[in-house]
Amino acid sequence: MKTDYDVCVIGSGAGAGPVISELSKAGKSVLVLEKGPWFTEEDYTKDEMACCRHSIYTPKLEDEQHVLEEQNNNGDWLSESTSESGWDFWNGNVVGGSSNFMSGYFYRLKPEDFRLLSEFGPIKGANIADWPVSYDEMEPYYTKVETEVGVSGKIIAHKHQEPRSTTDFPYPPTIEHPIVKNIDKACNQLNITSLATPRAILSQAANGRNSCEYSGYCGSYGCHSGAKGSARAALLDAAVKTGNCKILPDSKVYKLKSNSKGRVVEALYYDENNITRSISAKLFVVACHAIETSRLLLASTGPKHPDGLGNNYSQLGKNLLFSAGGSGTGEFHYSDMDRLAASAMKTRGPFVNRGVQDWYFFEDKAFAGKTKGGIIDFLLRHPNPISKAMSTRWNNDDNLNWGHKLKRDLKTVFTQSQDLRFEVFNDWLPTDNCFVSLDSTIKDKWGSAVAKVRLGYHEHDLKVGEFLSAKAETILQQMGAKNIRSSVSGSPPANLVAGGCRFGKDIKSSVLDADCKVHDVENLYVTDGSFMPTGGSVPYTWTIYANSFRVADIIKSRV
Amino acid sequence: MSTKLINRRQFIQFIALASAGWPISGFAARKTPAQKIIGQQDDLVYSDLADPWLSLAEVQEHLLPADESSPGAKDISALRFLRNTLDAPDADTEEKTFIINGVGWLNDLSVKNHQQPFIKLNSSAKETVLRKIETSKAGSRWLSLMMTYIIEALLSDPVYGGNKDKKGWQWLEHAAGFPTPTTEQVYYKLADNTRRRIKS
Repeated sequence: MKTDYDVCVIGSGAGAGPVISELSKAGKSVLVLEKGPWFTEEDYTKDEMACCRHSIYTPKLEDEQHVLEEQNNNGDWLSESTSESGWDFWNGNVVGGSSNFMSGYFYRLKPEDFRLLSEFGPIKGANIADWPVSYDEMEPYYTKVETEVGVSGKIIAHKHQEPRSTTDFPYPPTIEHPIVKNIDKACNQLNITSLATPRAILSQAANGRNSCEYSGYCGSYGCHSGAKGSARAALLDAAVKTGNCKILPDSKVYKLKSNSKGRVVEALYYDENNITRSISAKLFVVACHAIETSRLLLASTGPKHPDGLGNNYSQLGKNLLFSAGGSGTGEFHYSDMDRLAASAMKTRGPFVNRGVQDWYFFEDKAFAGKTKGGIIDFLLRHPNPISKAMSTRWNNDDNLNWGHKLKRDLKTVFTQSQDLRFEVFNDWLPTDNCFVSLDSTIKDKWGSAVAKVRLGYHEHDLKVGEFLSAKAETILQQMGAKNIRSSVSGSPPANLVAGGCRFGKDIKSSVLDADCKVHDVENLYVTDGSFMPTGGSVPYTWTIYANSFRVADIIKSRV
Repeated sequence: MSTKLINRRQFIQFIALASAGWPISGFAARKTPAQKIIGQQDDLVYSDLADPWLSLAEVQEHLLPADESSPGAKDISALRFLRNTLDAPDADTEEKTFIINGVGWLNDLSVKNHQQPFIKLNSSAKETVLRKIETSKAGSRWLSLMMTYIIEALLSDPVYGGNKDKKGWQWLEHAAGFPTPTTEQVYYKLADNTRRRIKS
């Protein structure tokens, strides 16, 4: 049957980019339907009002929202829409997706992450599963991301270094902030291995992209130079140049229509004028954010899939993952330093490329046997001035702070110290209490049911997070930081989400097969973070990119 | 991402509270009609002020007072920022109404307790009135919004009308990123302008 395109891809972020790029380069006709607008490098300025104070790169919550379910102290699940709470679960709905706004900390998973159940055994209340593919199968694609997306870094030997097929990164590390010397010194004194954090940021011009400009505003901001390895800068622009790829921004897919054989035949979407359209293709790829991918498939009922595509065994939307852990801060007061040291500490622009993996796996008397831990990453407090100033708005007595006292507090916060933060990443164990469904009452602006997300977590996540956080605090203490504090909680970071369509060998316990094809739909693939049965204890983006390159190779052989 | 979104449920509660305890005053409504939209570069924003802007400017100056070494609300043109923002195409009309109605409530309380509108009060009486307002949920919300706009005026890019001559950034030794937005790239124009460019 003749179709409009070989492949239709829904979404354009990290999970979609490699598929779009690889298939376009292979001569396939590819249509990309992206819900958001198409900003380019010239549109991305360092404007806190656009990036972070208003919903410009994400939908307005009154137009599109989520319903979140949290458990109260009595064990009851209470739901609240995000337009009520203001808890925004969108990350970046533009061409290139949220990869435009990442900080670019890039980590591979380790071989043991692919077989968490076999390595560490079950944990009561958690649905831990081994992956149907191994690290060895993923490794060539991790390597491909280093060159195609662009990863800068430096390999330092350590006990948990994952195997690599190349000796080092293709690009040297980005320029580093002077504070890394203090981190290295403290770690050395504590017999901890301080590692250079790889970043999806070009330290040298390459592939038609510029090197980083070191403006000091990276995370939460779109990249003006093209150095950040967003799907847009690294992959989509080149895909469009092949002449085989067409990107339609402002195109919201609301249903995948399937026929009596269970095959997807059309994507139904609203165009920029909110007119319904349809497009046919031989093969469809969904990669539009873990929660939204599950939502779209749940809404895509058909003759063979009465409960949604890939949901004949009620697995769709289940085992949603976030990143567990927490964060902490320590202050370095300029008054404690000499003038040169204070001046160095105030540097803005270079990166704090330091992290610790000593406890990726560990044994400790508080835990039973060998335990899966995670990583610690260091970063400066985000430079956004409005956000920083907002922290002074309230006095300790919960009254508003204003007048001359406010001004003294502002001066202190902005000019007296540098804050070094750490973030802890550990596994968010999959459980029966973290999943996506369709809300029965709240609709988006087009009249489609919004996603309802239950946000349950496993207590083990907190225990590991607190263990790692305590280790991170010792490093800050060794550095001489003041007012050290940290927080570990079960509150999920909305920008680190995966799962919901886990891949596996058995259709009764997974949505996708090992190729990331929906088990019982012959022409539907999912390539965003939805496929992950467990998340590892690092940010997901590198793995999402790598898996999408892997699946692109599989699809290439099919169309 | 946005931290400024109004909590709708709270807002409705505020309105209900305001209706019950703080009758909506005609104070603001009977003043001269609102001036037309103030352009981003218009320095006349502080000339010939009438309510509600006159009182709002006075409140802003009390919340962020000038002193010898640092700018106050007028120095950074906080009122221009507020007006530009409330008149922006995507502004929340309920929020704008809430801000403006607050002037009526403020002056009602000021007259009731001190026999004069807010702008006529000395600094100490202004503080008393504002702290009294803060004790109600609606009043606290109103002041919180005013503070949000002042902080944004102090530290947002000057293209939005505040942070005049980058005085806010200079005072707090803040190094801005680059590039900064042009007048065609302000948040409420960015998406539409981008769409037009992509099509052309």
